[in-house]
Amino acid sequence: MQDSYKELFLSESQEYLGNISKCLVKIEENPADSPSINEIFRGIHTLKGMSATMGYDKLTALCHLAEDLLDEVRNKKRKLNSEIIDILFAAVDIIGELLEEIKVNKPSVVDIGEVTQRLKKFLLIKDKEVDEGLTAAAKSVLASGDKFAFSESETKTVRQAQDKGFQVFKIVITLNHDCVMKEARAFLVITNLRKLGEILKSVPEVENLKEGKFEFFFTVFLASKEDQRIIRQELLSISEIEEVVVSSAEVQEKTAAEVKSTVQTASAQAGPVYVKKIQSMRIPVERLDKIMNLMGELAIAKIRLAQTVQTYKIEPLEEVVFMLDRLITTLQDEVMQTRLLPVAYILDAFPRVVRDVARKQNKEVDLEILGSEIELDRVVLDEISDPLLHLVRNSIDHGLETPEDRIKKKKSPRGKVTIQVSRQKGQIFIEVGDDGRGVDFQAVKKVALAKGLITEEETKDLDEKRILDLIALPGFTTSAKITDISGRGVGLDVVKSKIEALGGRVDFETTKDVGSKFILTLPLTLAIIKAMLVKVQEEIYAVPLMNIRETIKISKKELKYLQNFEVIKVRDEVIPIIRLDKILGVASSKLKPEDGDGRLSLVIVEYGKKAMGLVVSQVLGEQDIAVKPLGALVKRTKGIAGATILGDGRVALILDIMSLM
Amino acid sequence: MKKIMIVDDAIFMRQMLAKILVAEGFEICAEASCATEAVEKYKTIKPDLVTMDIVMPMMEELDGIGAVREIIKIDPEACIIICSVMGQQSLVVEAIRAGAKDFVTKPVQPIRLLEAVKNILKLNQNLRLRRSGISVPAMPLPPFPSS
Repeated sequence: MQDSYKELFLSESQEYLGNISKCLVKIEENPADSPSINEIFRGIHTLKGMSATMGYDKLTALCHLAEDLLDEVRNKKRKLNSEIIDILFAAVDIIGELLEEIKVNKPSVVDIGEVTQRLKKFLLIKDKEVDEGLTAAAKSVLASGDKFAFSESETKTVRQAQDKGFQVFKIVITLNHDCVMKEARAFLVITNLRKLGEILKSVPEVENLKEGKFEFFFTVFLASKEDQRIIRQELLSISEIEEVVVSSAEVQEKTAAEVKSTVQTASAQAGPVYVKKIQSMRIPVERLDKIMNLMGELAIAKIRLAQTVQTYKIEPLEEVVFMLDRLITTLQDEVMQTRLLPVAYILDAFPRVVRDVARKQNKEVDLEILGSEIELDRVVLDEISDPLLHLVRNSIDHGLETPEDRIKKKKSPRGKVTIQVSRQKGQIFIEVGDDGRGVDFQAVKKVALAKGLITEEETKDLDEKRILDLIALPGFTTSAKITDISGRGVGLDVVKSKIEALGGRVDFETTKDVGSKFILTLPLTLAIIKAMLVKVQEEIYAVPLMNIRETIKISKKELKYLQNFEVIKVRDEVIPIIRLDKILGVASSKLKPEDGDGRLSLVIVEYGKKAMGLVVSQVLGEQDIAVKPLGALVKRTKGIAGATILGDGRVALILDIMSLM
Repeated sequence: MKKIMIVDDAIFMRQMLAKILVAEGFEICAEASCATEAVEKYKTIKPDLVTMDIVMPMMEELDGIGAVREIIKIDPEACIIICSVMGQQSLVVEAIRAGAKDFVTKPVQPIRLLEAVKNILKLNQNLRLRRSGISVPAMPLPPFPSS
């Protein structure tokens, strides 16, 4: 159970952290952006509350100091400068590392010392008066790890209580953040707790609580004979209480440090009772996938029912089938929605990356993100975040010039990187563009020639498509020096293959001295796709609709031969012909692919800018199909991407156009 | 239906509170405009819950906190919710010490008030049940995806 809360904690924290660093970048550009300052403050504040509830002391202490600093900035007690922003960035980095540690269950080794020292030093400088209160509060949190430990006399009391049959609970109470009069609220909590048992210890102490000398949470050790759930329930019945975590605290007579760790493990074993009013839930993606899978099966069952009703003309059921059809379609849409997340989910991290890379390169860069509200399948999002990151780094490193060079070219010294997300039909387009130097065809040619990748002849018709193919080759780089950002020649090829593995496509446009643009085309989802069903001999195959350019019928005479390969000419384009029956191993001498008139059905598919004509026996029609992955044994079969179950229960294989090319 | 007495010197406040509570299905069994009246009415009408303005003109010797004390003397388990404007922490703490069960701040937010009222009534009921030996099932844990 502890683990599921941890997951919740982690994913929520990461969201906050992402948002914080996004806002940090904003205030770095515009220090007067007070909504962003407030948002950072709120984010850090919430992080602190959450990590305190979970018992992550280091994280809490760090957040607390950062919050103090932000509070001063927010209240105009301190002017925002680049030093503050740098410290905050450093703090955010450390918080990220701490979260990572928590995620992998490592014993904490991340050193928060340096950054807390910096924060503290900073907090000390300005105003002596302000400082005292602040550092006292900060110290109390920093030292709170030890404060949770019982002193010798306290341990004695605890032992006595236990001997008398009392249980000792560690209770962490978090008040609503908009709670007014928190001292009165805390007093009410204390009063109610006293009705339930004896308060052995409180962090901060009860006196401080009454005076409001605490943040929005405090910890109480209570000896009680009540059930821990009753305690939690009673406390939650007080208004303006956000969370109550009750766990049993086992105490042994050990040194303070050992007691501390025992208390922590004990609470971990007992599993804290953690309650929060639930407005939204986090659901493991696997579960959603399962639901999606069942949805697909349900849709198939529905089609079978509809077909049966039609075949046997069972009138009384027609209306039911109609209703069922509508309901299932709606349900399917809803389930699909649950898999979607806004692209902002990954793009929020980008301003920070751009800032860091730009700094390292001494370049000035503006990042513009458009359409980040557009939603994409979560699986797709997961897969594209690295490629996108690479493209953006690439744009800054290779695309944009240094400010001096830009001025020489009469451009604004600040370069611009644009990420634009848009949605058209069932596809998502993500464009990563820059207004930099563009790709230098000559340089690419030179390197390509030197590496023997192209011949002198081929350099003549080097278009953007070919350029992309070249620069995407593993190990290809025109970068004279290798930086840690790019230049190692890994990257674009990975980007290309990752996007293509998703059924997407990478296009490239570039104009010298104006800029370059990568265009990623992606499917909205991987779970359900539109496909054209075709018959090849007696087998049915599904061809993803996004790969299909057109279906045509040709007479056999139109087939031409080029170096022993069959081709046809369609509108001046020479397209190679693929005999699907041969490739898929279903060829039969009895059934000819031609129909009665000796005409061939062709499905012209395209991938990237390549096209080919698939010879099929019959085109059956368009349909939404639920993609089922193939088992491990046949996963890598060339030409097959997956399978689907058709309305009549038959299995159809889905063609993988990319691997057929 | 749970009966509620509203104590406030301002008619406007009484009406507003009444409106919020009636809309949620509570019955307003009495209204009082001063502390003395509140104590008198509590004796005769025995409401299930009292909302008490903490600062009222001192007509007689009793103020809001005094009224809380008196009512608790009559009924140690009386459910009293304090209504107070912000910044009167010490008064509120005093009232809690005197036995008030919760407080809301003015301007009163309907959600907060109703939450407090419902919680307290439920708490009191559970307390009574437990006293009489009936075990009250604690709230189940919230559903959470297993991972």
